Amino acid sequence: MTSDATGSGMTRRSFLRASTVLSAGVAAIAAGLAPLRKIGQFSSVDEFLQKYYKELTPEEMKAVLARIEDEVQRQYGIRPHVRDYRPMNGVEFVYALNLTRCVGCRMCVHACVAENNQSRNPEIQYIRVLKMPNDGTFDVDKGDHNYAPKSVPQAGSFYMPVQCHQCKNPPCVKVCPVKATWQEADGITVIDYNWCIGCRYCEAACPYYARRFNFTDPSIPPDQLNLNMSYLGNRPRRKGVMEKCHFCIQRTRAGRYPSCVEVCPTGSRKFGNILDPDSEVSYILTNKRVLVLKAELGTLPRFFYYFDI
Amino acid sequence: MTSRGPGQPLDSVPSRLNPNPNTSIVLTVLTAGFVVLAYAFARVPARPGLVSRPPLVSREALAITPGTVRVSAAELIRSGGDVSGLDCYACHHKDSPPEIKYDAEHRIVLPKEHADLIISMRNCSECHPPNDPVKLDYDASGNVIVPEAHKGLLAMAHGHTLRNNNCYNCHDRDQLDQLHTPEGVVLKFEQATLLCASCHGPTYRDWMAGAHGRTSGYWDRKAGPMRREECASCHDPHAPAFTGLIPMPGPHLLHPLPQQRQVPPRGPDDHDL
Repeated sequence: MTSDATGSGMTRRSFLRASTVLSAGVAAIAAGLAPLRKIGQFSSVDEFLQKYYKELTPEEMKAVLARIEDEVQRQYGIRPHVRDYRPMNGVEFVYALNLTRCVGCRMCVHACVAENNQSRNPEIQYIRVLKMPNDGTFDVDKGDHNYAPKSVPQAGSFYMPVQCHQCKNPPCVKVCPVKATWQEADGITVIDYNWCIGCRYCEAACPYYARRFNFTDPSIPPDQLNLNMSYLGNRPRRKGVMEKCHFCIQRTRAGRYPSCVEVCPTGSRKFGNILDPDSEVSYILTNKRVLVLKAELGTLPRFFYYFDI
Repeated sequence: MTSRGPGQPLDSVPSRLNPNPNTSIVLTVLTAGFVVLAYAFARVPARPGLVSRPPLVSREALAITPGTVRVSAAELIRSGGDVSGLDCYACHHKDSPPEIKYDAEHRIVLPKEHADLIISMRNCSECHPPNDPVKLDYDASGNVIVPEAHKGLLAMAHGHTLRNNNCYNCHDRDQLDQLHTPEGVVLKFEQATLLCASCHGPTYRDWMAGAHGRTSGYWDRKAGPMRREECASCHDPHAPAFTGLIPMPGPHLLHPLPQQRQVPPRGPDDHDL
């Protein structure tokens, strides 16, 4: 102190030392903040600061939906109609699939891709159709995803499409560390794509391999975009979030059948409200032989396989 | 380890099974309770196998386009048949309509991939006047020999053994565009579904309940109509079995598949998507 106070107060040596330390410090801070330059995936401050889905007030939700419409318009050049469909009272969705009739044509897989705005390259498919040996087993390890014969069905096999089973006791919901996925009142397990941190715990937890991860930025040709969108459903996702079948929430919560049901050429796919005793699924669960995949896991799926015989 | 004599029983004090008198009372009461429960279960009538319920499809809805034998669309157009019921938008989407081409005589030119498309649009009575029954010929094994005029027009394959290829099992002998059930109930073509039901009862039951056949539209009856398909919309009555379909592409693969793989090695941590 006393030595510095003599003379001009700063020697050449102390100036050089101080300026070197200062510039090194600034450089270190700049290097530390460098990853922030790549933060471009947050297209707005509003999005970065957006609240959790369940905490949004109706006014805030309206603003969020308008913002998503803006974002899609900016990215794809078309303005979609994004809505927040809520569960209907007295409705619990159940899916039934007729294993006797399914021929494995994979039309459902591609109708789903088109309806739900999945990435086309690499293509993300919610439904996987397993070609199973017709030897009385339901061991999915014996299934083949990649069959490509000239014509289906092939003798000696049956076909088992697997998608999200919308479990009543969902393992994926239990493992989510940020509660970005949860079960709604009508039985659909949904994902808030803005809340998902992309840890993929849910993908590992799902015994039906139903969840898909966006490893890259999804690419959808703008002319193939389905403009009827919902917040928890088929609005375009981004790199680093999970997605999965949501029973076409934008259709089913408006009273319509899911896309895969409508497209099935053999009528193997059945969908409806299990709380309605007159629905097809009520009839099937009451009168048909029904199989639950991996029932021993206690996940209580809302997706049932049934047989005609 | 204590040594035990060879003749000594394992349980050396069998004199009193229940040393505590309360235990005996509890066990007796429990046994009596189970007997009463078993008797009660035996008395309760068994649950009926089928639940009776109103049909999803009303009788009025049983109306298909009247009229016809199912021929391929190309065949029909070539023969100058009535194509007014040909609905391209049953499969094509209205937002992206197919480009329809016409020939010099204003007949639709079908693209090659629709060559085997089946539609139903031909009246039997165009060729067969009423009350002029056709005499059928049978081969040595008792099967009907399909008349020469129907070759290439009708695919005959109803039933695994082709035993149902006898025209008059379904068609009325005197008036071919009328149908009749084995019991003799006369039906019109637009009631063909009821004819199918006369043999395929369980399938008809499932169809009425919505468990068989294609469904589209609205699951919520309050929100909008549900569309069901009749038997003949999907099945050709003369050859009802489905023909094979070309499967659409499978999952996106990051790596090419090993060609000679009998059972894919696939564990819980190894999946393609």
